[in-house]
Amino acid sequence: MSQPTQQEEFLAEHAHSRQPGSSYEPEAKGLSQGQIVRKRFLGHTGALVGLFIFAVIFLMAFTSVGWAGIPGWWKYDHLDVSPLVNDGVPTASLWPPAWGEHPFGQDRIGRDLFAMTMRGAQQSIIIMLLIGTIAGLLGTVVGGLSGYFRGWVEAVLMRITDVIIIIPVLLLAAVVAQSVNRRDQGGWFSGFAASNGILILGIFLGLVSWVGLARLMRGEFLTLREREFVDAARISGASNARIIFKHILPNAIGVLIVNVTLTMSAAILLETALSYLGVGVKSPDTSLGLLISQNQEAFSTRPWLFWFPGIFIVLICLSINFIGDGLRDAFDPRQKKFNAKKARDTQQSGEPAKAPAAAADGSAGD
Amino acid sequence: MVTYIVRRLITAALILLGASFLVYLLTASSGDPLEEFRASSAPNKQQLMDSRSQLLDLDTPAPLRYFKWLSGAARCLVPFGGSCDLGKNIAGQPITEALGFALVQTLTLVTGATILAILIGIALGIITALRQYSALDYGVTFMAFLFFSLPIFWVAVLLKEYGAIGFNDFLRNPEIPLPVALGIGAVAGLIVAVAVGGAARRRLVSGGIVFLAVSLILIYFSLVQWFRNPGLGPVVIAIAGVGIAFAVTLLVAGLKNRKALQASLIVVALGVVAYFAVQPLLNQATAVMIVLLGIATIGVGVGTGFLMGGYDRGQSMRAAGITAFLVGGLILMDRFMQAWPSYFSNSRVRGRPIATIGAGTPNIQGDFWVLTLDTFTHLILPTMALILVSLASYTRFTRSSMLEIMNMDYIRTARAKGLSERSVVMGHAFRNALIPIATIVAFDIGALIGGAVITETVFSVRGMGFLFLDGIMHTDPNPVMGVFVCVAVTAMVFNLIADLAYSALDPRVRIKA
Amino acid sequence: MRLGRISKAVGVAAAAALALSACAGNSGGTTPSSATAGKQGGSATVVEVNAFNTFNPNTADGNTDINSKISYATHSGFYYIDNQLNVVRNEKFGKMEKTSDDPLTIKYTVNEGVKWSDGTPVTAADLLLQWAAFSGYYDDADSEAKTGTQYFSYAGDPTGLKLTDFPELGDDNRSMTIKYSKPFADWETVLGGPGIDIAAHVLAKKAGLSDAKALVDYLKEKPKGDPKAPKPADEKLKAMADLWNTGFDTKTLPSDPSLFLSNGPYIVKSVTQDQSLTMVRNKDYNWGPEASLDEITVRYIGSAPAQVQALKNGEADIIAPQASADTIEQLKALESQGVTVEQGNQLSYDHIDLNYSGPFAEKSVREAFMKTVPRKDIVDKIVKKLDPEAKPLDSQLFVPAQAAYAESAKNNGSSAYQDVDIDGAKALLAGKTPEVRIMYNKDNPNRVDAFSLIRESATKAGFKIVDGGLGASDWGKALGDGSYDATIFGWTNPGVGVSGVPQIFRSGNGSNFNQFADPEADKLMDELIVTTDRSKQDELTTQIDKKIWESAYGLPLFQSVGVDAYSDRITGVKFMPNQTGVWWNFWEWAEK
Repeated sequence: MSQPTQQEEFLAEHAHSRQPGSSYEPEAKGLSQGQIVRKRFLGHTGALVGLFIFAVIFLMAFTSVGWAGIPGWWKYDHLDVSPLVNDGVPTASLWPPAWGEHPFGQDRIGRDLFAMTMRGAQQSIIIMLLIGTIAGLLGTVVGGLSGYFRGWVEAVLMRITDVIIIIPVLLLAAVVAQSVNRRDQGGWFSGFAASNGILILGIFLGLVSWVGLARLMRGEFLTLREREFVDAARISGASNARIIFKHILPNAIGVLIVNVTLTMSAAILLETALSYLGVGVKSPDTSLGLLISQNQEAFSTRPWLFWFPGIFIVLICLSINFIGDGLRDAFDPRQKKFNAKKARDTQQSGEPAKAPAAAADGSAGD
Repeated sequence: MVTYIVRRLITAALILLGASFLVYLLTASSGDPLEEFRASSAPNKQQLMDSRSQLLDLDTPAPLRYFKWLSGAARCLVPFGGSCDLGKNIAGQPITEALGFALVQTLTLVTGATILAILIGIALGIITALRQYSALDYGVTFMAFLFFSLPIFWVAVLLKEYGAIGFNDFLRNPEIPLPVALGIGAVAGLIVAVAVGGAARRRLVSGGIVFLAVSLILIYFSLVQWFRNPGLGPVVIAIAGVGIAFAVTLLVAGLKNRKALQASLIVVALGVVAYFAVQPLLNQATAVMIVLLGIATIGVGVGTGFLMGGYDRGQSMRAAGITAFLVGGLILMDRFMQAWPSYFSNSRVRGRPIATIGAGTPNIQGDFWVLTLDTFTHLILPTMALILVSLASYTRFTRSSMLEIMNMDYIRTARAKGLSERSVVMGHAFRNALIPIATIVAFDIGALIGGAVITETVFSVRGMGFLFLDGIMHTDPNPVMGVFVCVAVTAMVFNLIADLAYSALDPRVRIKA
Repeated sequence: MRLGRISKAVGVAAAAALALSACAGNSGGTTPSSATAGKQGGSATVVEVNAFNTFNPNTADGNTDINSKISYATHSGFYYIDNQLNVVRNEKFGKMEKTSDDPLTIKYTVNEGVKWSDGTPVTAADLLLQWAAFSGYYDDADSEAKTGTQYFSYAGDPTGLKLTDFPELGDDNRSMTIKYSKPFADWETVLGGPGIDIAAHVLAKKAGLSDAKALVDYLKEKPKGDPKAPKPADEKLKAMADLWNTGFDTKTLPSDPSLFLSNGPYIVKSVTQDQSLTMVRNKDYNWGPEASLDEITVRYIGSAPAQVQALKNGEADIIAPQASADTIEQLKALESQGVTVEQGNQLSYDHIDLNYSGPFAEKSVREAFMKTVPRKDIVDKIVKKLDPEAKPLDSQLFVPAQAAYAESAKNNGSSAYQDVDIDGAKALLAGKTPEVRIMYNKDNPNRVDAFSLIRESATKAGFKIVDGGLGASDWGKALGDGSYDATIFGWTNPGVGVSGVPQIFRSGNGSNFNQFADPEADKLMDELIVTTDRSKQDELTTQIDKKIWESAYGLPLFQSVGVDAYSDRITGVKFMPNQTGVWWNFWEWAEK
């Protein structure tokens, strides 16, 4: 995959996390960290729109076709074959607003594309969340331990990270794809894998995508453990666990959350790319990536088969990226948050705001 | 320092050993190498399976096969030994040979794209950082995320449909209808109006100027069939050169440095003279000659700057050197445009220059200009696709890096002591914001060598990605290992270089010896 | 990415078998006329999926479709196969005659004047080399005991030539006669065509012998290999065989022109690794159909949409992408700009087979299941979009292109399974609800869709369908291992050839995955493979077809659809069902 990975963003963060942040924060007065973050996040339009869109997609995906045996409100599921209506062309229309029998159309054998897209969105979201959770946990534990304890712990853990980071994801995915589809060997794993292919894929990808995060968290821990408040805690007799959980982790949580969101948005694209190359999710189960790669030939002839799942990928990805962007801005104490507002204010007062100067004003006003 | 490097290299070697062992086992267990024969009803099915098993040495367990492979690969470490043996692929081609070919294909495909993506990405990143939370910032962020979210094969299909087939159809009769010309002008004007920032009046004026300029140029192009017979000519080169001289001086030295400006303008004048002087020479151009001319051009520029001197000689030299290089580029571009009609009507091209597949027109014949144009027309679509999808990370990265720097105390100090905004941004912020980019670029070079798997697939380029994927599809570890070793070694070496560069660039980072 | 490695030899044999059984009396002596539609000269670009990698397409590792096609265009032989699947003799090249029926004796004679592009005449030595390589005469390898040596690694089926003894060479050095110890049905296509690829004099030189004559003498001296009494490998022969096996492998144009000698209409001019290959006309050639184009360029494009766009953009003139409804529709949309699209059936077909065990041990259950398979619906949804004329396939052994198909389909009992009969199935099941696990390749959308449709329908009759689909790398291994009750897959070669029939349907044979066993059918098949008379073959095959249907074996579903398309610059391209594809009449291609 030569598509840009969030890896680079990690590195970027990493590079700067070495630098001490400025400690003086005007808007921190009388507010807890959580309150500041919330306030800043809510001030980020892009992130709010992203959050809203994602919430809508999430609800739609999980309620429409049901999940884990719970039935949904949509009349078809992704496996139902029904007679072709209108030769599979979408029945939804904007004006007069109508939903119709198959709003997104049908594929060639008459499966409902809306149901398939919803199921695909579910799967993509599940993969995304799995990768985010696992990578976040593993990355924090490995990075935190090696950054905090250093010495041989660091040496061993970081060498393992190095090995994993250079193994191509495509190869790992190919291996997982094979083992997920292997059910002739019996045993609990193949039994489980057979019915939960998507979970296995997500878990496995999570198991390999924590490495960037681990490096990042290590860097974060390395700087934080040298800070005065950690020294103070140590001198006052706090245990390692207390220092880690009470003092260091809360300060590193911003970097962590931001990068986990970014890993998640990259995860959706990773799943798409893998399905395109034939090593991701396998039919008859479906995912957004699989849907567009299966229907790429239909691009100019039955475009709906291609566009609807495609739009959902782009929407999910965009919204997650914007949420991540908002979180990054919200958690980063060094960034000026309310410039936009300020700029608007100055414009209202009729004063032309030169952009670089506006930034300078911001600093000067502190 | 030396101890540090040696230690890093030893760890790298151990990591490579461990990882390659894992990769070998994973590849070997990733599929069924005999699948294609399983459902065959050929009477000699067993024989075919045996022969494939023998070819891939399937009777030896995979871990042992790894050591066989390793003993061959180890010989690659002997320099100039010529006994390097990475095994053969399923088609019987030695991997070393296949790798050599694939590497060239991949590098041609991705090098230009990566460099352009880095340049454009950094530029956009800086601009968006300077205009944080402006319409421009939101627009660029949205577009960057949008392109990042688009699957590349989708982008590729669209590009082929409109960028190649559509554009070639247009070239058949390159007339731009008036409304289209006006429409394009309007869009360009709108973008500029949003991008400039500042007061509404300023936006309106700049937008209007751009709208008029673009529309008029398009109408002119349409009238003279410029797309069929493109060219710049000395006049355009002179005008554009003056513009370049001002812009470069503005960025590098500031317009207050009159000497630098004069040096740049002199270089432009020299360029226009050279335009006439080098034409006969360029007719016999070769790649080496172009490179030499390029070096000479920069030399002339730097020399002019040196002679002009001024209070800051270095600034003059830099400004004049860059101007010379860019004006030289214009002359080169003009020469390519002169070759366009002959390329266009080449019997192999048959009037459809922009290609959708491959790395070159088979059996094309012509001079240096035609052949290079052929490479360009084949590279343009994949390059655009790659730039679009990889722009996001560079833009976002530079933006956040730049924002952070702009809020640093030393920037405030710089402003406080009355430096111009230009020298604050270009001299203080920009350079420091670039430091972490060393890490990114190093990281990217590994990925670059690994090839763009999907891009290669859609554009029918058989590079490293194809080799790798094909190996996985056939459960054939040799090509997979070949690609892996190449990628891993490059990535590790460049990471080391990046770390060293980092400590050189940023005095706060100390390498533990 | 699709693996296009199809055994040319198997394909040819199968096509020949089709021709043998289908078209009585239309072979021999018909020397083809060359194309007249277009003008002489010009060039064309053809798109292929795989990249060229060897000048010897007969080896087990080298027989990808592309290598065979290049070899076909640059070599000639005693016959070729046309798109009606007839064996067409090329008498300008030489004569292939059956001189005796018992024992079956075939005499090959090369005409005078037929020569390699280095000027050396094509002689009996070249034929002998091909015989030695194809027959495996010298092999004494025993794969069980791991003893002995296999010299030439031939991809095709050596069964026929195994029955022959060392050939007799004519005194004029232009003829060779081989004698079969048993009658062999496919004798017409086992040797001597469509191309004599490897020049004996080149191989002899490279192996250290003085000339082709020395090679002939050497082979004459060497006794037949016996796997029961393996001897140490013969150094010289091994050297020759190794050269034959790998010496012609290359991805670029060799500097030594003897490695790519031509004796056909074209000669390779340049090869750009993994990008393209260009052939120009062979000036000396006058011993067969004469080509119109001066130059043919082959480019490699993997994905079907990329092929269509290349055609649209004028970068390709002739394409034959993998057919799908969308690809065909896209191509049809190009007809307005002069592109011609041709569709037709290919020789492969999908089918569902029921195991003769488990829930299907009882015939009534099998019949009930077969009644629920919605064949019409499957055809409508999977192939109708590709081919509006498509119908379910009604024979296990014939395809509609064959004359005997109609007769066999009418009487073999397939009429009982034309329409879904849920009530009939319920009656046969009598309240039982058998659980059926269906295995198929999850990575093939056609199989997945067929499975979905069958599950939908069979569930209505009370079957409990379990999805037993496996990934691309596992389903093949699972064939015949009893882990499923029914399986949907396709025969990659048409199981309609005489040699293919027993391989699939005779009890206990390698590809008889569902354990079909019928002593009477076995007897008929034994008779079939030694029958050289075509009408007799048809008769036997029809009987076997009926036996298979009577035992409720399973159902053939549909034939694969193939497509090719060419731009308005070119004429003379014609659809061909077998692996040779559009290349079969490349000499008729012409620029408009």
